Amino acid sequence: MGLVRKQAPQQPEEVLPPEKPSVESLLRQLDDADPDCRREAALGLVGVAEAVPALLARVAVETETNVRDAVLTTLAAHDTETVAGGLAVHLASDDAALRTSVAEALATMRGSVLSLMPSLLAAPDHDVRVMTAMVLADLAHPDAPVWLTRMIAEDPHPNVVTAAIDALLPAATAEHAAVLEAAVQRFPDDPFLRFTVQAALPRLTGTA
Amino acid sequence: MASAPATGAGLSDADFTRFCEYFYKRTGIHFTPGKRYFVDKRIENCIRDSPYDTFGSWFAALRMSDKSAMLQDLINQLTVNETYFLREDYQFDAMLSTVLPNVLKDRGGLGRIVGPVKILSLPCSTGEEPYSIALRLLEEWEQIDHVDVEIHGADIDSEVLAKAAHASYGERSLQRVPKPWINKYFNPVGSGRYQVDEGIRSAVTLHRVNVCDTAAMRAFRDFDVIFCRNVLIYFDELSSRRAAENLYGAMRPGGYLFLGHSESMSRISPIFTPTRLPEGIVYQRPTGAK
Amino acid sequence: MTADTRPRVLVVDDAATVRLYHTSLLTEAGFEVAEAANGLEAVEAALSTEFDLFVVDVNMPKMNGYTCVETLRSETVGTAAPVLMISTEDRPGDADRAYQAGANLYLVKPVAGDRLVRIATMLTTGKEE
Repeated sequence: MGLVRKQAPQQPEEVLPPEKPSVESLLRQLDDADPDCRREAALGLVGVAEAVPALLARVAVETETNVRDAVLTTLAAHDTETVAGGLAVHLASDDAALRTSVAEALATMRGSVLSLMPSLLAAPDHDVRVMTAMVLADLAHPDAPVWLTRMIAEDPHPNVVTAAIDALLPAATAEHAAVLEAAVQRFPDDPFLRFTVQAALPRLTGTA
Repeated sequence: MASAPATGAGLSDADFTRFCEYFYKRTGIHFTPGKRYFVDKRIENCIRDSPYDTFGSWFAALRMSDKSAMLQDLINQLTVNETYFLREDYQFDAMLSTVLPNVLKDRGGLGRIVGPVKILSLPCSTGEEPYSIALRLLEEWEQIDHVDVEIHGADIDSEVLAKAAHASYGERSLQRVPKPWINKYFNPVGSGRYQVDEGIRSAVTLHRVNVCDTAAMRAFRDFDVIFCRNVLIYFDELSSRRAAENLYGAMRPGGYLFLGHSESMSRISPIFTPTRLPEGIVYQRPTGAK
Repeated sequence: MTADTRPRVLVVDDAATVRLYHTSLLTEAGFEVAEAANGLEAVEAALSTEFDLFVVDVNMPKMNGYTCVETLRSETVGTAAPVLMISTEDRPGDADRAYQAGANLYLVKPVAGDRLVRIATMLTTGKEE
């Protein structure tokens, strides 16, 4: 009773991990009926490039959000165009949890996600373009503002433009004032867009 | 860009606002206007220590860094990170008044519980946190004589772990410890320092581990309570998610996780369920019961 | 007698500009407004403070709006306060999804200022009758 010690040694122990399962068994475990097993498999497959196809397939079908989050954390560490492209298809999903968690993962993939921008900006579905702005909002890359500026200048849908404006503002400078004002001209009936640009301009142009 | 150079005149209102929005987005921490002077001074320090001349250039670099040394340095400047005994002990209050009773109940109750109650302090740094837990349990938990409790401390840094093993502390670290506890549980070892009793030192198991290392963290299983305070805030997005996932795996379903008082899972991961205790928010690994 | 009897609303959106817009409108209309940047922060806020109204976006990181509303209605929080969901999404089935989650109303952005205020007022004063 009371405070008990697990083992005898007095020195800090280097943690010896238990026997690590093989990649083959982890890949099988990825489809286990038990969500905790699937979650453990997703965690265990960190850094295993050959697991990427199976992990991408899991994203599409996984129903437990904790498992899917673990799969995405493992996948996002592979900052490759294959993974970025494989994840980006889900930005179009009707499942809000899936599309937003995929957007979160993509926003960490600084090396590869910008290669998708040309096709994402041209996506026919404006909801996908809004999600793209969400990705760019959190992407720590110096070119993100360039893509956002393009969306603000060119996108036909006002909700895409306002999402892009919101994403751009933390990085915006006086140079962006013109494209913001032009957006208000393009959508004169959007009260939110007008409000947002009017609120932001003084800060940008130094007249705050 | 309309921003004032870091000449000691403080940030412009616009720059302060921009900075606060960024910091809130990244960490969930709000700075009230009352903290303006404090924040200004700390940011000036960071800019001065950096290769950048102006707030604008420094801030642009910060936004690109996603929790690199720049942001870690900034967070270090803006948060209190000194370690000492009984730090943020309202969480130990919560452990005693609500968490441990719930753990006992969930595990069958007194006399029926199988296996020890397991508590993890990570990072344990130089040991103040796990030893604080030990002292509070010994002094204030009525059930301590009827239940086995394992206390574990873990840290990535072997130097601090060596100090934790040696467990001798000076006045600054012990300032909040009641004198009777010092007399009861510590021995003076000269130079104004006191060492934790051998009985307690030997009851705390210390480990060297990186919380982001899934394979290594597998060695930690079935913990009922984990204190993970003031470390996750420093990690980048993927590392903090992975660390949260590893902590989840180290816990029993229904187990409790305490973060530092200004930290929140809302910037890290949704896998834990937040719960409100009188003393504040604590997180639980879901039990899976729907 | 409490000093501040204004109805309390939590505005939940990852976009700072949207939060600013909704907060300005609601503050001017006499609400006391707090903000959260995602669904999980909203749940934590709701655990600490009693709100009279929630205005919740759908697409947010960490916890999206539907999961947020489900959690607000579940025993984790258990609030019966009205929930207005506002989103850019206008896919078929989105509104149903919102009502299934426990929202009272689902609107597509952008929402005109006076409409938002009218609806927020109706949802909060309706509750007090």
